[in-house]
Amino acid sequence: MLIIDCPYCGPRDQSEFSNGGEAHVKRPDGSADIGDREWGEYVFIRANPKGIFYERWVHSHGCRKWFNCVRDTSTDEILKIYKIDEERPKLDSFKNNVKTPSGEPNLGSGNFTVKK
Amino acid sequence: MSELNLTDNKFIQFHQKIGFKFDGVKYYGYKGDTIASALLRNNIKLIGRSFKYHRPRGFYTCGIEEPNALVQIISEYSEPNTRATIKKIYEGMEIESQNRWPTLETDIGSINNIFSPVFPAGFYYKTFMGPHKNFWKKIYEPIIRKAAGLGKPPKEFKAVSTHLHHNVDITIVGGGLNGLIAAKSLIDTKFSVLLIDFDDQLGGILNNSNKVQSVNNQTPMDWISETVKEIENSKNIKLLRNTLVTTYNYINHLIAVEDKFVGSRPLKGKVNSTLHKIRTDQVILSNGHIERFLSFQNNDLPGIMLCSSFEKYMCRYGVIPSKETVIFSNNSNSESLVFSLIKKGFKPKAYIDSRSGENIEPDLFDLIRKNDIPLYTNSQIKGAFGSKKLQKILVEDSSGGVNEIKTDFLCLSGGINPDVHLFTQSKGLLDWDEKDLTYKPAQAFQPTITLGSASGQFDFNAITNEINEKLDVFGIKPVEINLKLNTSHKFKIEKLWEVLPQKQTIWSKSFIDLQNDVTTKDIRQAISEGFDRIEHLKRYTTNSMGTDQGKISSINALGIVSDLLDKKVSEVGTTIYRPPYAPLSFAAIAGRNSYEYYDPERKSPIHNWHISNGAVFEDVGQWKRPWYFPINKNETMDEAVQRESKNVRENAGVLDGSTLGKIEIKGKDALAFMNLIYTNSFSKMKPGSSRYALMLGEDGMVKDDGIICKISDEHFIATTTTGGAATVLGCMEEYAQTEWPNLNVYMNSITEQYATFNISGPKTRNIIEKVFPEVNFSNEAFPFMTFQFHEYEDTPIRILRASFTGEMGYEIYVPSNQALKIWEKIINFGKEFGLKPYGTESMHLLRAEKGYIIVGQDTDGSITPLDLGLDWMIGKSKKDFLGKRSLIRSDTIRKDRKQLVGILPINKNDRLEEGQHIILDKEIKTPMPMLGHITSCYQSPTLGYNFALAVIKNGQSLIGTKAFASTPELKTIEVEIVEPIFYDKENTKLAS
Ligand SMILES: [Zn+2]
Repeated sequence: MLIIDCPYCGPRDQSEFSNGGEAHVKRPDGSADIGDREWGEYVFIRANPKGIFYERWVHSHGCRKWFNCVRDTSTDEILKIYKIDEERPKLDSFKNNVKTPSGEPNLGSGNFTVKK
Repeated sequence: MSELNLTDNKFIQFHQKIGFKFDGVKYYGYKGDTIASALLRNNIKLIGRSFKYHRPRGFYTCGIEEPNALVQIISEYSEPNTRATIKKIYEGMEIESQNRWPTLETDIGSINNIFSPVFPAGFYYKTFMGPHKNFWKKIYEPIIRKAAGLGKPPKEFKAVSTHLHHNVDITIVGGGLNGLIAAKSLIDTKFSVLLIDFDDQLGGILNNSNKVQSVNNQTPMDWISETVKEIENSKNIKLLRNTLVTTYNYINHLIAVEDKFVGSRPLKGKVNSTLHKIRTDQVILSNGHIERFLSFQNNDLPGIMLCSSFEKYMCRYGVIPSKETVIFSNNSNSESLVFSLIKKGFKPKAYIDSRSGENIEPDLFDLIRKNDIPLYTNSQIKGAFGSKKLQKILVEDSSGGVNEIKTDFLCLSGGINPDVHLFTQSKGLLDWDEKDLTYKPAQAFQPTITLGSASGQFDFNAITNEINEKLDVFGIKPVEINLKLNTSHKFKIEKLWEVLPQKQTIWSKSFIDLQNDVTTKDIRQAISEGFDRIEHLKRYTTNSMGTDQGKISSINALGIVSDLLDKKVSEVGTTIYRPPYAPLSFAAIAGRNSYEYYDPERKSPIHNWHISNGAVFEDVGQWKRPWYFPINKNETMDEAVQRESKNVRENAGVLDGSTLGKIEIKGKDALAFMNLIYTNSFSKMKPGSSRYALMLGEDGMVKDDGIICKISDEHFIATTTTGGAATVLGCMEEYAQTEWPNLNVYMNSITEQYATFNISGPKTRNIIEKVFPEVNFSNEAFPFMTFQFHEYEDTPIRILRASFTGEMGYEIYVPSNQALKIWEKIINFGKEFGLKPYGTESMHLLRAEKGYIIVGQDTDGSITPLDLGLDWMIGKSKKDFLGKRSLIRSDTIRKDRKQLVGILPINKNDRLEEGQHIILDKEIKTPMPMLGHITSCYQSPTLGYNFALAVIKNGQSLIGTKAFASTPELKTIEVEIVEPIFYDKENTKLAS
């Protein structure tokens, strides 16, 4: 269970929040000039990386504000939380010190010794 | 009785006799006894039958690691799978053994043991596969269901549990020697500390063994009580006894469950257990170690027990399970038991050690020699034998000769493991220690400190250094611990996992998992079948998958596998330990979120009126809505709905629509925002008018509908479906904040602020004119789809002319606290015009006759407005709205999409049903091409026959053709596909 530092309310238990999926997905306006592919990617396609992920959260059982978050999905470490109108923080500004328990950040998860 | 002394101590009050029943027979124990210690006092050694083979089993341990002694507590709602080794007795307790029939002594299921070739490793997986698909269902499953399994589920269970949150700096798990030293050193520091122990008595190994003679020149008992007193008196340390940490989550989040009724019958209606949810900056794991067993033939017989457990029964409970036990060991942990037994004057019948004489601790060697205890070095137990209890063992000595020793008891020690469950749950990494032959914590993943044997530090003389080194981060004063020991301070072990079996009879088995009845033969077989990865092997054999998670045996399995594969144990790896550490009840997890508190019940402001007028309720989301109002007890739902619906069509009916979601939208850009959220265009709407509107997802599918009232360009009120209110508000908030933050708009739920009453029927105007005589309800003054604000006896109300039934209708919005007054007024004034309340079922019927859809019933998230024939609701001139672009995707403009149609039976006596498939052929064959299915279906009192709405492929172009509806009995009903409207097709009544 994460502790999430709501930019409006402060640190709160994860149970007060809802996850809103990938952040910084630009919504094309709904005009017919957009191709099926571009619109389809906006509607259906989301990233799901193991590692650093820019995602959205909403403090649904709190202030009901949406905000953005950078989380390492392999360690669950929250690297940054920022308001929805703030710039997307640069990737190289995060130093990810925590190694995953499996020691293999790029692929799947599992038991260290078994995989070896 | 097998008792040592009867002097009261802090563990057992010998002056307080406790009567309890086991399998119907009354026994006595003392205050402080566990079920196991009390039964052992009474010389009861057979406690249950095993899971698969129904073999007789006894008490293997004296703690939470127990694999065998699971019992059913009849006096506590028949709580199953309770560990007899930790559950304390109380007066009047009733206990039953499990998994036996008809009795524990004569169990018929033990025939499974003879048929054991039928239950090999991977039995379940193999059985699922053949020889015929019916084999599992018809033959195996009934047999297994009956024969296998643990206890029976409890009956009429209503436990009460509560949750408690903690936010502390340091949490110490385990109040044994190391935990107490750590806690003591943190007294009066700036840290808030939580010290948790599973036991009611702190002290751990000091209580349970004679290993330690003195601590800082005090007896262990004096040192414990002094230290605990200091901790209790401190301001910064909170002590939780009887509390088991079951879970170590990410971000130092611990879950612990506290038993509030240790040694007494849980009181009805009182909190039985507390679930502690702990957030902490630092965790100190000082939760000790667990002794392992050893595998040899029939190592499961009652009368076989772990060495440290035997000693714990003596030291802690003053009961000696046997006065003439044999000891078998490969390590130094057995030394303390030999010392304790000799101290009490019950010297072991024989001491067997797989190590050679020079590798045995010199003190232990001398002790055994001095007391003339038969000593077998370099020796192994080949097998144990007996019927329902141990009677003899066979020992192979160093020369290869086999000796038979008659004995009723055998103590085993196969080594010790740090209790790493919590450490690995926290994602810490383990390392195999080749010297101590066990996995030890190596690298913490979270801020976790391990102390003492929990860290794999088995040397008593190293305690002071370890604590000072590891607790240095807290900047506390170094401690000095001076221990005097009765046994050697170091741990030494020689490798032995299993004494190789030489099969004597079919009954003989060498177990590796006692709870799940897994044998070492199963392990061999699994490996020979290719399951040589430890995680695969675990699942294939079910090894260590019981509720004890193989606490005394899983490492042994790794050892055996490593030998078989000729690999190092570190290469074999370990399976992942998952929470919970030990089973905890669902009641504890649920806490107060149970029964009536599980989900809020939402009620209309006039709910009590509905009750007193005989309404039958239906759950709609969290809401209780009147389903129908039977006029007497004999009226069925069907009759009531026909009567109510007919009355609406002929006179008038009133519906409590208060549960409909209501959202108020305000702001300079409210109009622009509403145009983006809904498909409709609100730009040209006049203030005071309203519009039926659709909301889509970005995928173009219908998500919700409702009526939008426009008060001005800067102020709207939207209604939503009853179930969709929260989602719609959430969606509006999301888009307002994330996509269009430049729009000045605010929204708020006003669902509970207003009650909504919906009057409809041909006599509506007569009634409403009486209720609100000052309002002009003529068509000219109050046209269809407009609304007006009025004051009624100082109550501000909003009246909207709209209809969900196809009849002329008005919706009245009243502040909730004035709702009953207005409702009763409507009912009273309506009487002379035949006005009757109606429920949701009649509402559904009436709207379906008009072809009005219900989102979520006639749509399922794969239906676009075009599929519903609602093209007219799309503001095509609008540049954008939610899901607009999706409406011209290649998939959404497909001609053969499922579309909404009406269905009528050709034979008007035929009855259709919701969910029936629409097909083109009269004959049902396999495979059967299906057009779609019926989404709503009713018997119309107005038409006099069945009608239905359906979504079927290419539906709009099939209107006017014939098809069939299939029934579950594989029959077909001939139907006609029609326009989805059955009543007043010209819409003359709405505006009448
Ligand atoms: Zn907040």
